[in-house]
Amino acid sequence: MADLKTVGTSVPRKDAIEKVTGSAEFIEDRYMGPMLYAKMKKSTVAHGKIKNIDTTRALKHPGVKAVLTGKEYPNRIGLYLIDRTFLAVDKVRFWGEPVAVVAAVTEKAAAEAVDLIEVEYEELPGVFDPREGMKPDAPIIHEDLANYEIVPIFYPEKGTNIANHFKVRKGDIDKGFAEADKIIERDYYVPQMQHVPIETHKAAVQWSLDGKLTVWSTAQSPNVVRQLLAKSLDMPMHKIRVISSYIGGGFGCKAGASIEGLLVPIAQKFPGHIVRIVFNREEDMQGTFTRQALYSKLKTGVKKDGRITALQYEMVWDGGAYTEYGVNIVRAAGYSSTGAYDIPNVKTDSYCVYTNNSIGGPVRGFGMCEMQWGIERQLEEIARELGMDPLEVRLINGMKKGSTTASGQVIHDLDYDKCLKVVADKIGWGKKEESRDGKYRGKGIAGLVKCPAQPSNAASSAMIRINEDGTAHVMIGATEMGQGMLTAISQIASEALHIPVDKIDIKVPDTDFTPYEWQSVGSRITYTCGTSVKRAAEDALGQIYRVAADLLETPQEDLSFDGKKVFSAKNPDLTATIREVADSCKKCTGEGIAGPIIGRGSFVPTNMTNLDPETGQGNPGLFYCFGATGVEVEVDPETGVVKILQLACSIDAGKAVNPQLCTAQLHGGTIMGLSTALYEEVRFDKGIMLNRNFTDYKIATIDNTPHMDSFIVETPETNGPYGARGIGEQPMIGVAPAIANAVSDALGVDFNTFPLTPERVWQAIKNKK
Amino acid sequence: MKKQVIIFQLNDEPVEIYVDPAESLLTVLRDRLGLYGTKAGCSKGECGACTVLLDDRAVNSCLVPVGKVQGCKVETIENLSRGGKVHPIQEEFVDKGAVQCGFCTPGMVLSAYALLKENPQPARDQIKMAISGNLCRCSGYKQIEEAILSAAKKLARQGNSIT
Amino acid sequence: MLSYDYVKCNDLRLACQELEEGEQVYLLAGGTDLIVGMRGGKFSAKTLVDIKDVPELKVLEEDDRGITVGAAVTLNEAVVFAPIRDNVPILAEGCHSVGSYSIRNRATMAGNICNASPAADTAAPLYCLDALVNIKSSEGSRSMPIKDFFAGPGKTALNKGELVQSILIPRPYPEGKGVYLKASRTGSVDLATVGVAVQRWGEEVKIAIGAVAATPVRAFSVEKAINEKGEKNYADAARLVHDDISPITDLRGSREYRYHMVEVLVRRGLEQTLGV
Repeated sequence: MADLKTVGTSVPRKDAIEKVTGSAEFIEDRYMGPMLYAKMKKSTVAHGKIKNIDTTRALKHPGVKAVLTGKEYPNRIGLYLIDRTFLAVDKVRFWGEPVAVVAAVTEKAAAEAVDLIEVEYEELPGVFDPREGMKPDAPIIHEDLANYEIVPIFYPEKGTNIANHFKVRKGDIDKGFAEADKIIERDYYVPQMQHVPIETHKAAVQWSLDGKLTVWSTAQSPNVVRQLLAKSLDMPMHKIRVISSYIGGGFGCKAGASIEGLLVPIAQKFPGHIVRIVFNREEDMQGTFTRQALYSKLKTGVKKDGRITALQYEMVWDGGAYTEYGVNIVRAAGYSSTGAYDIPNVKTDSYCVYTNNSIGGPVRGFGMCEMQWGIERQLEEIARELGMDPLEVRLINGMKKGSTTASGQVIHDLDYDKCLKVVADKIGWGKKEESRDGKYRGKGIAGLVKCPAQPSNAASSAMIRINEDGTAHVMIGATEMGQGMLTAISQIASEALHIPVDKIDIKVPDTDFTPYEWQSVGSRITYTCGTSVKRAAEDALGQIYRVAADLLETPQEDLSFDGKKVFSAKNPDLTATIREVADSCKKCTGEGIAGPIIGRGSFVPTNMTNLDPETGQGNPGLFYCFGATGVEVEVDPETGVVKILQLACSIDAGKAVNPQLCTAQLHGGTIMGLSTALYEEVRFDKGIMLNRNFTDYKIATIDNTPHMDSFIVETPETNGPYGARGIGEQPMIGVAPAIANAVSDALGVDFNTFPLTPERVWQAIKNKK
Repeated sequence: MKKQVIIFQLNDEPVEIYVDPAESLLTVLRDRLGLYGTKAGCSKGECGACTVLLDDRAVNSCLVPVGKVQGCKVETIENLSRGGKVHPIQEEFVDKGAVQCGFCTPGMVLSAYALLKENPQPARDQIKMAISGNLCRCSGYKQIEEAILSAAKKLARQGNSIT
Repeated sequence: MLSYDYVKCNDLRLACQELEEGEQVYLLAGGTDLIVGMRGGKFSAKTLVDIKDVPELKVLEEDDRGITVGAAVTLNEAVVFAPIRDNVPILAEGCHSVGSYSIRNRATMAGNICNASPAADTAAPLYCLDALVNIKSSEGSRSMPIKDFFAGPGKTALNKGELVQSILIPRPYPEGKGVYLKASRTGSVDLATVGVAVQRWGEEVKIAIGAVAATPVRAFSVEKAINEKGEKNYADAARLVHDDISPITDLRGSREYRYHMVEVLVRRGLEQTLGV
């Protein structure tokens, strides 16, 4: 692949000019038509029966057009487990759950009317800790769990709060522990976090009298929104059009579908009007997905030489009030439960448990940050127990070509060793810096791996239209939320089509016009959508050659295409412009050959399988992306303040389609990881989210951002487009454990949880004394 | 709640609107004047997405009742590329890869613009101070810092400090 | 979506009149706390009187009495005002610690103290400087020491009809260094978990602390040990601060951590101002 022209170069972002000039259109950024504004009435209890909802006063409020409650609109929705309604019906399961929605001619009138709705609850005992929720006498949150429709790769336990119990049984766990010289066991805890994209969730819906539903949404996945709405509303798909404009950050919270359907019944009452809802920051934090908290117990057996013989992992996830999406995070963490390491004997039980906390759901990393926190911390303890170098322990056990994952999937394309070594080298691994001015310094390293957690039938498709002048339009269903997809995909198209990237137009999706894409999640788009686009480009190019060969009456093999014209390598007189090709007639007879060129490409994985229900064995990974993070810290033992002195990250991207964008993802993911490692934690009091704003949910600012070194390793992914694999989520995964390992190294104290706030670090030092 | 006529200078042009002076400058810019480049992120002055220049200083427009801009000068992101030319700060944001989802970008660019107006040759810590109130969840900020530094250099080279 | 009457007022007397006669009238200077507070339901105002352009409130000057910071002067204006930087840099540090740069382009020192948060970053420095609050009403003027101005969380000593016209940092200015040391969760734009101001006055020291009681407090026990008993061991002196404070546990920090941090920061403040 030495002769790549576009792939591997840092062409400017397709959307950059629009975005720096403020002209990029996000959903709220235009006049859409006659509007109605929707506002939600939210539950004031975390778990309770709805005794009565009185909407009389709200309905009489000036400007109010409609008030809707769950009783009138009990339709269900869910991605994997259909356990959710748009509005609470009969009971509420979390604090802030929408119980009614008001639509009015102004946002102000809607908000005022919301205050006039009176709801009477009978409070029920709540579950706020999933470990309590698993107990036989725990209050049941979803009485109907057994009757919910579910994708049959998940295993809810009837009559309990367990929405999914995923098992891995690999090798012989007893034998593995018997072989071990040392056994290390420890509990870990990862709290909830929030994505906080700077753009909150928004949706607008319009119903036309011919029965067409148009939806504008911040959704990461317009096709899934369409699919779930079609099912929930029992509508044919061609009558639903979903448009995702630019999205102001997603990180998983805008995956699946949720708020769009809330508005449909109102829109149906007022055809032609656009009913819009805009979540404010507080609603966004409290009412949308949070990262599920994880309570885990990890036990490893290890030989004196550092080789891990057995791993037993029990993970109890706080699924929150609804786990329609969360069940799959629990599954993904289960089948990946050895992290970046090849361990022969594994026993994992991963439980998704309902609680009365906010809804758990996908966040950048999809369970990997939480699950690998335990692994990467425990490796540190293993190294200490054995008196070994933690890097060495990672290199010994790290996956190599031919290694198997927890689910027994064989991995081929990786260079995890290199990922570890580059960051270790960068931070001067092995050289301990002396403490100065009463401050302690330490270094830490952590590895990471992630595959897209997508169902094996998650498909992609693409179309390419060639214009008469040799420019092209690429049409895809993936969304642009900052990751740079539009640019990378254009580069892949350009490479395959021979048309320069600046002659290719590409737009955000609209399900009426752009072909199917499952979801823009899981770091999968470069691979899946990229493959479809490459195939569509090859298809278009093939058509161009076929038609040109016919037109020029020369063998196809002799022809080349430079983006504008097709010419024969053997006879320079034989050329045809793309216009002649696209709209061609045989010179002599005037018979037509072909019309405009349209390339098509589709993709569905062929290397994935379902997993055995009892052992979790099989191939769940489309591809596996490895990386590592290295950190040097300085800790003030008096205040507990952790300062990051060095931060290095590496990722095995296979092939960086656009190195600048790839580095941007590496930086962004690493700083998001740093922010969660040091500051971020959603705080609840009996289900009430306490820090639901930026005043008390702090994310890293530029002041908190140290210098960073990033390394792109390129071990080609055999089946990826030009060897590429996705890298969007991965950089975040290793940061928290790497920082904790460094702080541990500095202070000689351990952490089983994060964020490492100054107070938590100080407390740990104090407890040690 | 009583509407008033508010007259101010918006992007170098006089504007006269009849509006409740209690309404925020942010919603007036977006919903009444159609300047959608200014974004709403938190309505509490904590994210900086709604940054505009008020009498040459960066402010959170979500916290400014529009009555306050009577007789003042307001600049939004739309003003930077007036005349069909992208401003050097914007060019450097593009060049240095400082743009990702783009939702914080107008506010970031304007905070940088206000900084360079006041201080054409800022040190790194001054850049950090100027945009510490602009949250970005995508980038990790480094590229933004680089873009502002290099925009300052570019402007100095071109000899056209921002006026 | 806030609903209130906005009244622009350029005349101090009229502003006082509005305050006296109206109901639920609040003064709007920068608005950075007030508007946020109203959106969060902390205040419900019927009328906001915008006093940002009242000439008497825009005063930022130094004279025989000291430095006068008018109620409409922004924190960024105060930070760069040479007499403040040169004579009372501790106050510039306090101003600089409030919010972000763009917030400080609007926010005022008077607003910071009128919001009466015990964690107000300008308060502890003002306590150490024995600042005076000049209060105006239709009845006339009065001033009071900053320590009497803070009456409790969100409460000031202002009576109905009164407004803060300015804050005076009186002469003589302190001789010696002053520092404002703030602990926060991120070390970036954040509220103080605790804020400690230590100002040397010749051979003596004044110490004030924010976010550890219902109002900012002076650390008299520590001051007494240093100033009267000549305590040279700053760690021992700092330990006495526990008698001066009564912090609570909230989202920004626990009571225990606050006790600890105040002690650490007082000691560091003493070291930095009096020399090790």
